[in-house]
This record gives sequence, structure tokens and C-alpha cells, in this order.
Amino acid sequence: MGRSKHNKREATADTAGDKKNKRQKREDYRTALRENGSTELPRKKHYRQRAHANPFSDHKLIYPPHPELMNWSSMYPHYVAEEGPADQAQTDAEVLPDRDSEVLKPKKLTQDVEVADIGCGFGGLLVALAPALPDKLILGLEIRVSVTQFVEDRIKALRAQNEEQKLYRNIAVLRANTMKFMPNFFTKGQLSKIFICFPDPHFKARKHKQRIVSTTLNSEYAYVLQPSGIVYTITDVPDLHEWMVGHFEAHPSFERVSEEEQEADPCVTIMRTETEEGKKVERNQGKKYVALYRRLEDPPHE
Amino acid sequence: MSLPYHILKVCGGVVFAARAGSIYSFNSDLEYISAWEYPVKQQQQTKGQEASATEQQKESSAADGPPTKRRKVESSQEAAPSNGSGDAEGAGAPETKPKKKGKSYTTPTDRAFVQGLYSTTDGRHLVAITGSDKTIRVFEHDGAGNLRLLSERQMPKRPCDIAITPDNRTILSADKFGDVYGLPLIESEDGQWSKETSAAQQKSRSATPAASQAYKPQANEFTVHTVRNRKALENQKLVLEQRAKEEKAEGPQFEHILLLGHVSMLTAIAVGTSPKNNKPYIITADRDEHIRITRSIPQTHVIEGFCLGHDEFISTICIPPLRPDLLISGGGDDELYVWNWVSNQRLSKTDLLKEAQKLAPEMAKLAVTRIFATRPKQINKKGDENNKSDDHTLVFVICERIPAIFCFQLKDSETTLQHAQTIPLPNGNNPLDVEYLHSSPSPRLLVAVDPNSITTSSTENTTEPAATTTTPSLRVFSLEQGQWHPTEQVIKGPEPSTGSSPEESNPITVQELQKILYTTESLRKTATDFE
Repeated sequence: MGRSKHNKREATADTAGDKKNKRQKREDYRTALRENGSTELPRKKHYRQRAHANPFSDHKLIYPPHPELMNWSSMYPHYVAEEGPADQAQTDAEVLPDRDSEVLKPKKLTQDVEVADIGCGFGGLLVALAPALPDKLILGLEIRVSVTQFVEDRIKALRAQNEEQKLYRNIAVLRANTMKFMPNFFTKGQLSKIFICFPDPHFKARKHKQRIVSTTLNSEYAYVLQPSGIVYTITDVPDLHEWMVGHFEAHPSFERVSEEEQEADPCVTIMRTETEEGKKVERNQGKKYVALYRRLEDPPHE
Repeated sequence: MSLPYHILKVCGGVVFAARAGSIYSFNSDLEYISAWEYPVKQQQQTKGQEASATEQQKESSAADGPPTKRRKVESSQEAAPSNGSGDAEGAGAPETKPKKKGKSYTTPTDRAFVQGLYSTTDGRHLVAITGSDKTIRVFEHDGAGNLRLLSERQMPKRPCDIAITPDNRTILSADKFGDVYGLPLIESEDGQWSKETSAAQQKSRSATPAASQAYKPQANEFTVHTVRNRKALENQKLVLEQRAKEEKAEGPQFEHILLLGHVSMLTAIAVGTSPKNNKPYIITADRDEHIRITRSIPQTHVIEGFCLGHDEFISTICIPPLRPDLLISGGGDDELYVWNWVSNQRLSKTDLLKEAQKLAPEMAKLAVTRIFATRPKQINKKGDENNKSDDHTLVFVICERIPAIFCFQLKDSETTLQHAQTIPLPNGNNPLDVEYLHSSPSPRLLVAVDPNSITTSSTENTTEPAATTTTPSLRVFSLEQGQWHPTEQVIKGPEPSTGSSPEESNPITVQELQKILYTTESLRKTATDFE
């Protein structure tokens, strides 16, 4: 619908024409980048998108109905397990005994994704974590389409540039609404680290429900985290920091990691310096607030 | 026009049927007993009185005098004479209901329709939720069909479904915003429920830290020197004070606690007891295809697992009696799913669309609105030993706008639903709810039907009020040789009391009624939004 509107306007209004051209340019750029198999890093200006997305609306999202049906193999092609079809059928039967036979079970990986960067943005943290956690599979999750595409192209280019050193094979990005669909991707206790870096502050009180940290969402983070797994939070907004601290503090499944331990964690340094937002705050000489929370064992069921 | 009964609930030997906002009771022979009518007169009057009432309340609230609101007066009058019965746990509780602000009632154009009727396991209390005013009402039931309103609590968001914990102390309200609140069935005077519950929840999880409270103006009287700036500062303080007051008024004034939440509209909630450890769990289903299993109070922060696999929204879930580890779920998918919710495993799928297409071959999708499971009482002719081997649960399923009831059998040794019968409804009327009457000599099925659904074209005639139909809105089916057949039993409802019923003062159009009664299909997602 939007497109035909643009076409009509193009002839008369210059501004509309410019807009269309810009969009067209972006699309051309992206397809060219993909088709040429270019190893050049993508440029952000071709992937701009407004900063907010409504987590409550029904985006046209793709997500598996069940974590077992998630196809990770195209995202981490170097970690695909060589499996005989017999094995596959067996594991299939264990998970969902009556699963429709026509649904093909996706290929398994040699290891599971263990680190998630929720709201990875343009992927600064992902790229920095890749060499720091070489034996872990790391996944960035982002709700905005263009931004996800940028990170996808960025990872692709980085993999190509570092073909020999075999770098950046352990990172991937996925478009997802984690507030709704986290349990569709990860099983109980699958993750060891969750990063929540410079999340949307949602200043207005009536938008607080949209914040990525809340009493009820924290239960979901606890669900996908294994005991002693860690949630990393960082923000430059003091109010939001207090909010996140308050909510994790009040949640019986989490305890705060001591400052000593926090500062000794190499991931904290990376989180401070390597995220796009982190760099921006640095340039403006703003303050950064960090808080780490450890997932506790579930109490015995009373 | 006559509004149909649309919700049924059997409680002991009494049948409760909801019509619009009111609840009517019938005995097991389906003779009318009594009614609780939705306070419609009040609703219209409150509007005019509101301003003065709130004014008065402001003055009198400090003196702790008698309540000035009509509603409160009425309920305490009602409560006073029967107070001696003392069978309820929290005797004397209803008089000291928490104060509510004047906005409790929404505009009169909003139709009050009971959205769900629930009873405690002991049958002493009935709980009703109404959509338009977001209110949960608790009634005391004397066991003979008479209801006495104990409390009305308006939730912050519209409750979609509720469940009552096995100890009959707590109502679990699942709302449109995805949150589940716990609130005491009987409100206690001293907040005992809150104390116990939140203490048990380790740290009070409802007391989420409020971020906005922290704001204070950076300047003070000593740092501000000009007259203008001082005025500005005073103003700022005033605004803040007002805001603080408003914030206080925002949350409900009664005891309640946030237990868990999805970032999705909740559609169904149930409490299951695991046969493994005999512990209760809260099972919640949402529009985004999730069924979540959470530990019950006091450990609702622990999510035990998810039953995932639905491709479309889930609208209703059901734990069959005597099969406590099973869960039947349905919604926008073509099939009914049977799960072992304790182990999060899907056990079977049953094609419901296939059965529906036998009635209407052109049907492409369906929306399940009710799954109702019951245990038929074995009435043995010879000995009772023989029948044990084929004990089964009966499962009745209603789909939106399909004029039939689907009947399935779930044998005790099995985990698959076996289609037993599709019961077409006379005149092509749509079923709205179904209940099972364990009556002798043979059981009966009570179905609430929508008599206005005879012609499909009636939806197009928007302005025309529905014609008065003689079709009864309650239908009885009897079991003959293993098959359900409609009976001609006529159920006499209450005589319409002139002037007091909402339908007379403000007639409802067919379209309006359809909008209220058929809401399930609208849960289906339409992929229009791209970025």
C-alpha cells in the first residue's frame, strides 16, 4: 500500500521522490552486497531504522513453535553436526512423539547457543565477544528488521575477511521479539549468559511495561538461564539502572554479583567499551551503570 | 428481543446461567429458583450522583462515617441480616470493603456481559467476571441456588479468565495485558491474606520498586532567589504532590498481588495438581501459542516449563477430572491437543476441522471456544466391577459459529481423544456453552444456544434490532443408547421484571450482540504489520 502511494507522488513531489530513491538505494546496496559475496563491511547509513519498535504488536515474525524445531544450522554453518538419519529419527521421537512426519527436523549443532545478547543493535558487543568467548555460540537478538540485516551482513563480511583464522563463526543474529518468544528459541537452562546492553529506557511511566526488565519477564530470563548463569546489564540512564537493579533485586531467582567479581569479568570491560551505545556515551563523557545478576538454584518446591 | 443465556455453570445440584450481566439459578429439574441482577439502574444514576458522591466521600472519609456510595449501602444492608449464618471463613468481611473511586462504573453504553462463572470446589462461592467493567464479583451460595454478593473488585485490566486455587482461598485472575494477579476469595479485614501470601512469596513481588517516585526538584528555597523562579519551584512541588496522589489512586485499593506475566494477551488459566509431587501449578495460555507451567503460590517466580507446539492462538484449556496430568488445549488450530503438562510433552492431536467439515465442507478454519470435560457417573445395571475397564472421560467441544457440539471420549488407559458423536443443534443455532447434569436415570446435557444465529444474513442487517424469537435459549439433550438427542423440555426462565432489565431500556442490536458473544476468532493474527 505504502509503495503505490510513493509511486504516485514521485512524479509530482520531489521530496517523496527522494525518499523513494533513498529507500531504493538502500535496497540496491544491500542486494548488491549480498549477491557479490563482497567481503566489504556493510555501512550503517544503508540500514537506518527508527530506534523503537513496539514489542506488543504482532510483527510479522518468524519463530519456531518449539526450540527443537529451530533451524540453527544456517546461522552457525561451521557447527553443524554430522548425523545419520537414524539418529535423527530417534531424537525426534524423544521430543515430540507424534510430530508430523512431514515436518523435517532441522539439523543439529555440535553445541547449543549459550550466550544471548538481547537487543544487540548493530552488533558491536557480538563482534567483540566472538574472540573473547571462542568456544561458545553467541546469538544476538534484535527486533528491528534493517538493523538485524546490517548485523547479518556484518557477520558475513567478518567471516569472509577472517576465513583463515576461522574467526566470527560462533556469532549470529536473529530477528526476534524476546519479550514474547524467548522460550520458543531456548530450552530451560540453555543459556549461561544474557546481555542486556543499553536497552530502550522508555521514560514515560505508561511505557514502563515495555521495558525489557520487569518482575514478570525476569522469571523468563531465569527460565532460560542455567543456575549460576549471569545477566549483564548496562545503561547510561540512572533511572533505568535503578529500575533494573530494583527489579532483579526483588526477584527471588537472582542475586547481585559482587563489584569485585563484576570488575574481574572480562565481559564487563567489553560491554563497557565495545557496544555502539557504550562508545557514544564515552564520546559524550557520560556515565555508565553496570549491574550483574546471578541466577540462583530454584528453591525446593514447598 | 430476548438475550440468550451464554454461560452455564453447574454447582452442586444447581445450574447457574448468565444472561447479559445477570445470573439466574435453576434446580436440577431446571426450574427457575432465583436471580442476581446486574445493577443497571444504579449504573445510570451513578453518573449524575458521581460528582456529589465523591465530594461527600472526601469529607466523610476522614470521619470514618457510614459509606456514602449507593453501592456500598446496598451491599451492607444486604449483608447485615444474613450475617448470622457464619459459614463463610471470613465472616463479617463484606462490610469493610475497600473504598473505590467514583469511576468504578463505565459508561452506560458498555454492555455488561458475564464473561465467566466459576465455583469453588466446596460449592459455597460463585465467582463471576464481567468484561466491560473489568470486575470480579464473589457471591456466597447457600447451596440452594440463592446468591449473595460479597464483593466486587475492579481489576486494572480486563480479566480474561480466572481460576481458584485448590484451597479455595485465592482467585487467580489472568488479564488481557498478560498478567496474573492473585486476590483473596474472601477479603479479610486486617489484610491477613496479603501478609501470608507476600510473606510466603519471600519478598513481596507486587511491591515492585517505583522509579518515578524518586524524582525531586534539584533546586530548593535556598538556591532560588528571584520571585519568578520561586513561584516556578512552588508550582513544581504542587504538581509533584498532585501526581503522587494520582499515583496512589491508580492501583486497586484491595489486596492483590502480581504473580506472573506473559507479554501477550492471556486467554486461559487453570490450576493443576501434579500427580508426581502432589503440588499445585498454575497453567496459563496466551494468544502467542504458549502454554506456561508455573509453580503455584508462593513460588510463582519459578517457571517449570512450556507446552509448545500450537501454531495458532490458544483460547481454552482443560484438565480432565481424574486425569490430573493431562491437559486438553484448543484455539485457532485445526486440532485439539492433548498434553502431559507435567512433563511438557504433547501426547496426541485430534483433528477437529475434519469433523466440522462433515457438517460444512467449505469450512477452512475454526476457533475453539469451549472444552468441557466431565466424568460420567457409572450407573450400573448388573455389577459395578465389569464397567471399570472402560471408564472414560467425556469431552465436549464448542467452536465459534458452528451449530454443533463435538463429543469425544477419553479412555482411562489412553491419551487420545476418540470422536464419539457430533451433536447438531436444532434450527442451526450456535452453541455458546455446555454443561453436564449428572441426573438419574440418565445424564442430560444442557446447552446454551444463541437463538439469533438462525440466519447468517442477519449479521448484515446492522441497525435492525433482533426479532423476538420463540426459540429457547437453553436446550436439554438426553442420552439414549449412547447417543445424545435433543429433548423438547422447555425451561421457564424468570418473568422479565418491567423496566429493570437492560435490554428493555436500551435494546441491543444483533450485530452488537454478535460482537460480544463471538470474540474468539478475532484472536487470530493477521500479518499486516511489517516493520
